[in-house]
Amino acid sequence: MLLYEFEGKQLFKNCGINVPASQLLESPDEEIVIKPPLVLKAQVLSGKRAQAGGIVFDQNANLFGKVINGEKVEKVLVEERIEITREYYLSFSYSTETRGPVMTFGQGGSGVEEKRVKSFPIDTAHPEGVKALPARKLALQAGHLRGVGLPEQLVETGKQLWEVFIKYDCELAEINPLVVDKNGKVWALDSKVILDDDGDFRREIKFPERNLFGRPPTENEIEARIIDEGDHRGTAGSVYWDLDGDIAVIAAGGGGSIVNMDALLAFGGKPANYTEHSGNPPREKLEKLTKIVLSKPDLKGCWFVGGTANFTDIYETLMGFVEGLREIKPKPIYPIVIRRGGPRDKEAFAALKEIGKKEGFNFYIYGRETPMTSTAKIMMELAYGNISKR
Amino acid sequence: MAILVNDKTRVLIQGITGKEGSKVCLQMKNYATRVLAGVTPGKGGQEVHGVPVYNTVAQALENHPGINTSLISVPNFASFGAMKEAIESKIALINVFTEHVPIADTAKAIALAKQNGVRIVGPSSMGIISPGIGKVGQIGGEDPRGIFLRGSVGVISKSGGMASEVSWILTKNGIGQSTVVGIGGDVLVGSSFADLMEEFEKDEQTKAVIIFGEIGGTYEEEAADFIKSGKFTKKVVAFISGLFAQTLPQGTKLGHAGAIVYGEKGSYKSKIESLKEAGVTIAKTPDEIPSLLKFPS
Repeated sequence: MLLYEFEGKQLFKNCGINVPASQLLESPDEEIVIKPPLVLKAQVLSGKRAQAGGIVFDQNANLFGKVINGEKVEKVLVEERIEITREYYLSFSYSTETRGPVMTFGQGGSGVEEKRVKSFPIDTAHPEGVKALPARKLALQAGHLRGVGLPEQLVETGKQLWEVFIKYDCELAEINPLVVDKNGKVWALDSKVILDDDGDFRREIKFPERNLFGRPPTENEIEARIIDEGDHRGTAGSVYWDLDGDIAVIAAGGGGSIVNMDALLAFGGKPANYTEHSGNPPREKLEKLTKIVLSKPDLKGCWFVGGTANFTDIYETLMGFVEGLREIKPKPIYPIVIRRGGPRDKEAFAALKEIGKKEGFNFYIYGRETPMTSTAKIMMELAYGNISKR
Repeated sequence: MAILVNDKTRVLIQGITGKEGSKVCLQMKNYATRVLAGVTPGKGGQEVHGVPVYNTVAQALENHPGINTSLISVPNFASFGAMKEAIESKIALINVFTEHVPIADTAKAIALAKQNGVRIVGPSSMGIISPGIGKVGQIGGEDPRGIFLRGSVGVISKSGGMASEVSWILTKNGIGQSTVVGIGGDVLVGSSFADLMEEFEKDEQTKAVIIFGEIGGTYEEEAADFIKSGKFTKKVVAFISGLFAQTLPQGTKLGHAGAIVYGEKGSYKSKIESLKEAGVTIAKTPDEIPSLLKFPS
């Protein structure tokens, strides 16, 4: 989960990092109590906020309701203005190259991609413990930035940011810019923190849900995410996004789902949603997910697709799908293409054929003998008529 | 001979009394894999499908010194403790099935494993199967015989489901597999494509390798570099998924935890280009893989 600046700074403060005095405004009517000179900062999740007009130094400016990179501003952070003499970039993140945490430090400010920064791997199995390491590396790197002395407090901030990174299970903890003022005091002027969702169970602080599409989550998205809550048997709906198309998709497997979406798009299909289920979810979960996926109007088809499962009970998941399907009003008459393989698949297909005939569903059933991605084409032809021209 | 799992494999299951742990125990035994012991703290003295259960890894090893492989199937909050125990007991191969392991825990376990000279495969790994010899983990489910066939193609996949699907496509076309490995789709993995290609290079049974990758991270690029450096000389066919996800805003998470793209790094294009440069054949769909495998006969 990506945090807003003010949320990240709260974590910084908790670990002793020096941040400017601030006030969070949630409406334009709130009175500013911080003494000028001030800076007003729109609280949005997208980067490049300054270039988009999201940071202003006029205390009478109104940022509320403004749209910054597609995101409507609903909160504004007011901060005392710090006089900058030097800017640094400092972050901790994980690197797939070193397969562990890395500290990145160097010249800061916007457009950091083009500036001089260097990454240092951190050995978490080091016998001395990692506490001392960032400081040493920081000092080393500072030596590379010519003509720059390194205030003691900068090293201290390195240690504190590492504490934020570990304590709150972050994927990224970034300060850019980390500045030194004319008195030599160090300040974190911005924050970018991405929390590791897999660490949620042990993090003391919880943050409200947000959406990366720059829009609030849809009703379907909220409902879908509730399915897995408190029930660890497999997953269904934890990942659900509404899209603009007309083919409802219920895909299986974290890997296979993406492969199939690639195939659907390659054949010119327009998915109405993205969702996946994996592990061995019970049938109730599939029933709930199906009801959400098929609740959208004007669908032209439904594609229930997955590879050859290792341990997902195909009978249970498909019967859950049928139970959801039965509750859709009006009754779906569009084609429903099913491609699946794995434990109890034959039993599932026999039952589906029976149900399709008896209850009048337009099932097209394929097992493991039919290539998974080829059913994308079948789905397209059935839904849109002859699409051989692509 | 196959890699990782062979006729000398002797398995410990950590979390054997859990629902998945006990299920996988039976599956492995049915596939003629030797499961010597299990561990669940506080459940020592019990048996699961005839396999004795101990309270600690140390106790299991004391009674079964032949154990050289551990399968970890415990809840995510207990996974670091389980990995640490196995690593410090120097079990040579540790296969982590547990999903949603915090990345900080995986990082610590990887560093510890390196220090102790043991291999981790996973987390979020569906398992490892050497067809006709044995399997560790859920891969292939209850009846791997219907999906896998012994042969000369190695498969390395971030996705467990696709590992089986690709193997099934090969089997259908009469192409057998030496070893099929699910490396997991997390950001940090104990064994990468390149790590396992190093093993496949040494394995005489293996004539070609298929890698199933997806967007995010740098393991596909690392594999390309490994080939370019001349350390891998066998045929490689790769399939990369995730073109679709690139149409979504940056940072959107889909599927596996590691399948996340920020800018150019880890993108579909970057992976395809570096693999092509290394001379790897790219499959556009999983189904065309068999036709792309040309063996020097």
